[in-house]
Amino acid sequence: MLETEGLTKSFKGKKAVEGVSLYLDKGESVGLLGPNGAGKSTTISMISTLARPTSGDVRLNGKSVVKDPSAMRSVLGVVPQEIALYEELTAHENLQFFGQIYGLSGKPLETAIQHVLKLVGLEDRQKETVKTYSGGMKRRVNIAAAMMHKPDVIIMDEPTVGIDPQSRSYILEMVRRLNKEEGLTVLYTSHYMEEVERLCDRVYIMDHGSIIASGTKDELKRILSGEETVWIELDRAYPELFAELKMNEHIIQAAETEKGIKLIIPKGKRMLAEIFQLAERHQAQILNVNVQTPSLEDVFLHLTGRKLRD
Amino acid sequence: MISVFLLQWQRFRRAPFMVLSFLTLSVVFIGVMAGANTGNSLTIPAYADASLSETQQAEWLTELNRSDNLSFVLVSEGEARQDVVDGDSRMALQLLADDYRLLVVADDPARFEVESYINQVYIRELRIRELEEQSAAVDVRERLDGMLEEPAMTVSTASLDGGEDTFVYDGQLQMLFGMSLFFSVYTILFSLMKIVEEKQFGTWNRLILSPLKKWQIYLGHMAYSFSVGYLQIVLVILLFKYLFNFDVGNQFGLLLLITAVYTFSIVALGMLVMGLVRTPQQLQAVVPILATGMAMIGGAFWPIELVSNNILLAISKVLPMTYGLDALKSVSIYGEGLAALYEPLSIMLLIGVVLMGVGINAMERKA
Repeated sequence: MLETEGLTKSFKGKKAVEGVSLYLDKGESVGLLGPNGAGKSTTISMISTLARPTSGDVRLNGKSVVKDPSAMRSVLGVVPQEIALYEELTAHENLQFFGQIYGLSGKPLETAIQHVLKLVGLEDRQKETVKTYSGGMKRRVNIAAAMMHKPDVIIMDEPTVGIDPQSRSYILEMVRRLNKEEGLTVLYTSHYMEEVERLCDRVYIMDHGSIIASGTKDELKRILSGEETVWIELDRAYPELFAELKMNEHIIQAAETEKGIKLIIPKGKRMLAEIFQLAERHQAQILNVNVQTPSLEDVFLHLTGRKLRD
Repeated sequence: MISVFLLQWQRFRRAPFMVLSFLTLSVVFIGVMAGANTGNSLTIPAYADASLSETQQAEWLTELNRSDNLSFVLVSEGEARQDVVDGDSRMALQLLADDYRLLVVADDPARFEVESYINQVYIRELRIRELEEQSAAVDVRERLDGMLEEPAMTVSTASLDGGEDTFVYDGQLQMLFGMSLFFSVYTILFSLMKIVEEKQFGTWNRLILSPLKKWQIYLGHMAYSFSVGYLQIVLVILLFKYLFNFDVGNQFGLLLLITAVYTFSIVALGMLVMGLVRTPQQLQAVVPILATGMAMIGGAFWPIELVSNNILLAISKVLPMTYGLDALKSVSIYGEGLAALYEPLSIMLLIGVVLMGVGINAMERKA
């Protein structure tokens, strides 16, 4: 349905995005994962026709939309990272305006407003000004505004940034329903791994402006099928122990966590005895040891050498 | 375009404070400054030192008090100075044998009118005295008065636009037009600031992704800023015309036309400014400097005819405010018709078109 080929964007000679190729099938929910500055927002700007690529192409149903963006714009809804609303107006007035600019009026307009308000669960508070809303409610109106013209594809650029867990959960469930029940094609960017794991069928991982891996969640996790993750919970930080583990030739990745150390080691490699010996030598007190199969977060760490929120 | 235009009015309805505050400021400033500029009851304390005898002081006062609008009262120097310091009098006059000093505590626009009058009285009196000294006749003053009462020939001089060296100063209209045009700059530029805000807060991208064309979005914003600025000027003029009986002449239609062209040129100037600034905060810093500078050089605070600096005069030639005020005063004070307005209106339109083109281009380059 929607595909990009070799998308590249340069600013003053510096490439912010380089050679991004991806596709979305109708009704799919696709995640675009990457840390801050990876080039996700620039990629989205090009796909949504807000920015013209330096090179490459964006195609909708096989037809390029770079030169003539109107076909894309009529089927596309974009939820920007910022709260793109008129805060002095009510939710109803905002939606009324965003419906009007798509040519809606009269009863169809009011029906569309009530439909999207129901989707985001704000029918009861539609007559209140947006500036009085909580962060989560503003985010929901932000999504509703992108839904007014009943788009086929919706692009969401980190729609849950800066909101409480309850609102976040509400929005995620809402996006899931839009995708599964309303058949909307979703391109979802986030740097919250758990959101992408929960919502998306396929994932593209971006770093430094390029896609470094892609596939279904299982396919990506299979990258680490020969590895496993060991979580070591310690009573406090032990920098010397961490440094020694990091230097160990059998340990693929080592990262300090809030509670201790996380290691990625070859599957089947019996390393626990060695780890305990090292801890003993550094007089480190181990509180808990947990061996897990890899998550997407581990895949990301493996591919980029850094955590998503770095 | 209509939906963007109506949206701005809807936003104005929810947050009218900014526009209403500039409207109120216009009214207050004009009321205070022009009300004090009517000249009907302006009393000026005058004083002299020992170099002038009581008779000489009385003679000067008699000459000065021939005015219908000004009243000069002889007081002691200390009293006159104290009156000015306390704000009881706006200025005081020191009488000298063949000269004078005007004591003004603040830059009062009325001083132009007062000084111009005193200057005329002194020049006339000193000429008569010189004539008396050089003439053998003893009754020069009486003969001169007699001749002036029954002149051999009457020469009437009329000037349509004030000419090179003379102009008609109407304090009320100067303040009315000057202040209303000045405060409209704030209203228009701050209204256009919504474009910068939309770009900063992301709503602009929503509009771009909609079926609206970019020119429709710009036009919607410009139409709103134009209408709000235009209404502000017209409301202020109507208020002072009908409520305070300001004589703005009998060609109100022409005043509306001039105001419309002036407002268009300021909207265009605003578009240029929007193209140059990046954030609303930058704009808030730029607008007062621009508006005040333009008002000072363009003749909103005092008549441009009083400015003699060639550089300032050259700058004033590229400011819409100069032409707006000139055209408004031509119609109201000199009773000029449409034919005399072709030049100022054309220049304002030209400035408007050029600034708008450059401004939109700058905005698009920045995007």
